[in-house]
Amino acid sequence: MRASNSRPLLRLLDFAPVALFVAVLLVFGAMSDKFLTADNFTQILVQSSSTAVVAVGMTFVLLTAGVDLSVGAIMFVGAGIAGKMALAGQPLSLCVLTMLGVGLLGGAVNAVLVTRFKLVAFIATLATLYIGRGMGRWITQTRAMNLPDSFLALGSAKGLGVPLPLLIAGAVVLIAQWVLSMTPFGRQLYALGNNPDAARKAGLPTTRLLTAVYLVCGVCAGLGGLLALSQLGSVSPKFGELYEFDAITAAVLGGTSLFGGRGRVFPGTVLGAVLLKSIFNGLVMVQADPYLYPLITSSIIFGAVLIDSLRSHLMVRLGRRKIRVEAGAN
Amino acid sequence: MDFTPNNAERPKTNQEPVVVFERIEKSFFGVKVLQGVSFGVGVGRIVGLVGENGAGKSTLMNLLGGNLQPDAGELRVNGHRYTPRNPKDARAAGIAFVHQELNLFSNLSIAENLFLTDFPLLGIGVPWIDRRALRSRAAELLRQVGLDHSPDTLVERLPAGERQLVEIAKALGAEARVILLDEPTTSLSSRECERLFALVTQLRDRGMALLYISHALGDVLRLCDDLVVLRDGERVGSGATKDFTHDRLVSMMVGRQLNQIYPERRAPIQTGSSESMASPDGGAVLQVDRISQPGIVRDLSFKLGAGEVLGISGLMGAGRSELARILFGLDPFASGEVRLSGELLTGSPRERIRRGLAFLTEDRRQEGLCMEASIADNLALVGLPANSRTPARFLDFTGIQSAVTRMREAVKLSAKATDGQAVRTLSGGNQQKVVLGKWLLMEPKVLLLDEPTRGIDVGAKFEIYQLIHQLADRGAGVLVISSEIEELMGICDRILVMRGGEITGEFRRDDFDRERILAAALHSSKA
Amino acid sequence: MSRIIGSEFFVLFLCLIAFAAFAPFTPGFVSTGNFENLLTACLPLLVLATGQTMVLITGGIDLSVTAIIGLSSVVGALVMGGEQGWLGGSPMAMPVAVAGMLATGALVGLFNGACIAWLRMPAFMVTLTTTMFFSGLAVWLAKKVVNAESIYHLPPAFLALGAQAWMALALAVFATFVAHVLLARTLLGRWLYAVGHNPRASLISGVPVAGVTVGAYVLSGIFAAMAAILLTARLETGSPNHGKALLLDVIGAAVIGGTSLFGGKGKVLWTVYGVLFLSLISNGLNLLNLSDFLITIIKGVVILVAALLDVWRTRFVRGS
Repeated sequence: MRASNSRPLLRLLDFAPVALFVAVLLVFGAMSDKFLTADNFTQILVQSSSTAVVAVGMTFVLLTAGVDLSVGAIMFVGAGIAGKMALAGQPLSLCVLTMLGVGLLGGAVNAVLVTRFKLVAFIATLATLYIGRGMGRWITQTRAMNLPDSFLALGSAKGLGVPLPLLIAGAVVLIAQWVLSMTPFGRQLYALGNNPDAARKAGLPTTRLLTAVYLVCGVCAGLGGLLALSQLGSVSPKFGELYEFDAITAAVLGGTSLFGGRGRVFPGTVLGAVLLKSIFNGLVMVQADPYLYPLITSSIIFGAVLIDSLRSHLMVRLGRRKIRVEAGAN
Repeated sequence: MDFTPNNAERPKTNQEPVVVFERIEKSFFGVKVLQGVSFGVGVGRIVGLVGENGAGKSTLMNLLGGNLQPDAGELRVNGHRYTPRNPKDARAAGIAFVHQELNLFSNLSIAENLFLTDFPLLGIGVPWIDRRALRSRAAELLRQVGLDHSPDTLVERLPAGERQLVEIAKALGAEARVILLDEPTTSLSSRECERLFALVTQLRDRGMALLYISHALGDVLRLCDDLVVLRDGERVGSGATKDFTHDRLVSMMVGRQLNQIYPERRAPIQTGSSESMASPDGGAVLQVDRISQPGIVRDLSFKLGAGEVLGISGLMGAGRSELARILFGLDPFASGEVRLSGELLTGSPRERIRRGLAFLTEDRRQEGLCMEASIADNLALVGLPANSRTPARFLDFTGIQSAVTRMREAVKLSAKATDGQAVRTLSGGNQQKVVLGKWLLMEPKVLLLDEPTRGIDVGAKFEIYQLIHQLADRGAGVLVISSEIEELMGICDRILVMRGGEITGEFRRDDFDRERILAAALHSSKA
Repeated sequence: MSRIIGSEFFVLFLCLIAFAAFAPFTPGFVSTGNFENLLTACLPLLVLATGQTMVLITGGIDLSVTAIIGLSSVVGALVMGGEQGWLGGSPMAMPVAVAGMLATGALVGLFNGACIAWLRMPAFMVTLTTTMFFSGLAVWLAKKVVNAESIYHLPPAFLALGAQAWMALALAVFATFVAHVLLARTLLGRWLYAVGHNPRASLISGVPVAGVTVGAYVLSGIFAAMAAILLTARLETGSPNHGKALLLDVIGAAVIGGTSLFGGKGKVLWTVYGVLFLSLISNGLNLLNLSDFLITIIKGVVILVAALLDVWRTRFVRGS
């Protein structure tokens, strides 16, 4: 591939998610007149709030070229414990804190495995995924738990006319975007993902940075679980399942790279989360065969990862050092 | 932008120099790289450090920059003993090392790169970057280095020359008093070079001490106030630049005595030089015809005869390794032709190996060996297809074993190393022998060698030279890329010199002249 | 200590410990009936793990093997299933079905390999995605064609593979043997190791790195299909859910046995030991009647231990 063709191709790849969004709007809008309504879109936004929050946490980890496959399991364990507490009469605020605490703990375990024990991120978090799901199922005794109405009240509460889950998700997005673009920590994350060797040479605290991103991801998972609970009102044995995929897909669709150093929470990841939910909302509206859902989800993820890989390799090729044939002052 | 050349009118100061190297010694793997080097760098002076590859310049820089520690001798900065354990210590002492390989993060802006570990914050409790202060401080540094970009520009948008200026700006931002520049002009255009020189002069005038390493002797003579010449780890000359001429520098760099032993070289059957090639491809085993790849090589042509040892000399960045990679099929080229024994050479490395081409790369650890695999496995790797039987390609273990044993003997691999030992445990010399043995196993028609004796002790070097000659005597064509002119003169029948992606000189054995070869590498005049 | 962990027989040692740990506390553990169970149960895992070993040696990973089992199983059953199968009742049913199952495995493997070798996508992500896709495809196929979750009435000739322990054993041993020979005695085997050690050096040394990588995934797919044959025959149904629980066991067995996640290191024999160990654990846990979730947790812990062991071996045990 000639270098001169690569830059326009890069541009094209960058536009792919937006193009997909437009395509989704057009296609589903044409197929169902209930799709393009304000009500429906509010629905979509509210439904995507939990995914968005988890995806924001995932973005932090992806920026360092890592991954956290255990977010769904962390959600599950947190929801299970909180659910049990709620059913035992504990106040809502304590339950919420517990969910966040579980998230922090889960993130800490992952952080230790990756930074201290030097395990590859996907294997470490694959293991914690299984352990977490097992724990979750044990806590809930594999039975669905119907939680007190206080949780659902959270879900339907409104602040300033905006549904509470949206407010919370919005706040998370805002804070995350601020951290990533306005704090030294955030900028150093981008540096670490771009060039780990140079980062070490420059004296960046790499262990601390890596630990932090897994902690953030864990807490976001806990919070995402809370938002999901507030809309479902119960914890089923499948709670949180496949959230890790949705989170990775949302992030990668939004421009975050699996290879590190690239990505934005806003608009990127958020757009990805909304896009994902829109697609499913649309599928439900046109009454598509539910058996096709996994096929569609995986195709979307595949497409997103493909675009990311192509983009990364094009950039490497463009950046290859060239010798200047008319070099120097001699 | 103007600059005052050569500081001739400035009064000499009587203070102790900012940086002092005193009788510095350093060895690597038993090879002495610096043997008691002493000199100083004064405040408000630009000191040029010149010498051939392997003379010890980079080692000196790395000692000052905190990447290495000396075996003996003392480093002093500002009068105090200076013993950095890492680059951070060096930075704290006010020493900034601008490497040839830039350490910038392309996905961040210039300003962010400049202050990555030191962001100005709004002092309001939360770690909020003060973007305005960041921008203005960065702009100030950019102004000082003469870079006319917004501080918010992403580094990935900058060409190499400007990235270099950003690195210097980084040094200024860290309030360095001493700046080391390692081959700063390799990737710069003439305009960018002029800008760099103006900046360096300015910094000097402001009281910085600068240490400037470069092969571009013309630049060095123009820019530097004082010069230090290294050869084989010793300081063989120093003083004010006005006392030196270009030719005197070259002869000091090159020296007179040959301090290595080379096997005797019989005249080859035929060389590829223009005179002995009567017909278009007159017996040349490798024929390179006007190979061009923009930015890498331009209009390159030469022939390699069967039984000939052809050396390719030149400085780093001249395009020699890139040429070898193009010949082996690892990198593409835009136009031109390559022929092996008269037939067009195309395809993947595997294809070319089948045709009889072999390639010993510059970096044996990354590209030459499977470090964790055994000696036997590494030796056998290229020859495996030949030692396997169809249809299922079962391996002929007896054949492989005998080949491995044969090659071990042929390359005189250390008897202490067992076949099953991981190559990681071997010395550099033995490792290189394994790589060489791997290629000799396939009895190549053309062998490309890139820095075959880098990092190897004298004894092993001699054995490798012998192997090269033996191979050539059996009728193969051998191409040797090396940064050591003396080595090429010792073993080759003919030497080509490359500079800036072109061939700038050709020397036959009776014509070998170290100064002229080096000159061809430095100038673009044809010898 | 390092010497013990680094030794090839460490896992056999672990097996002994596991055996000793379970024996006194687990009713029915030490009995011929149980040993037979253990043996038949471990065969699909053996075949799967052997295929995975080849991928791990090249430094990759294939997380889609369980989905391949499901898809193969459904495809095979659709061909030879008694009532609505395409060739149901015909004498050609079984051979065509088996061929179809193997082909399914090979094709999915080809897809995985192509994405990883030519499109340069990360292996774990690609195979994670294909798991979802092909698993979903299997479920959808079963629903669409026969409107059921599982497909019954498979021809007795096929079921014999499951009913007769010795047939299953023969197939598994054959597959394992073929893999061993391939790795130890053929050119492809050496190339797999070379790519796992150093892809760049391998390319320069004439190894067709992309082709070898694709080949590894194709082999993994075929072996997964063979595991599907065993499972489908034993459980007497074609189902997309066969083998779902095996994913962690597969990786755990290979890595505990000594094959490294970092590539370049691994042997079929080691995997056999690893499979033995994991089967002992699974069997013991089953007999102890532990709840499903406890078993899931333990499997997660096993994978963690395996990975930690791998890092330890790679960093601290310098061997030949």
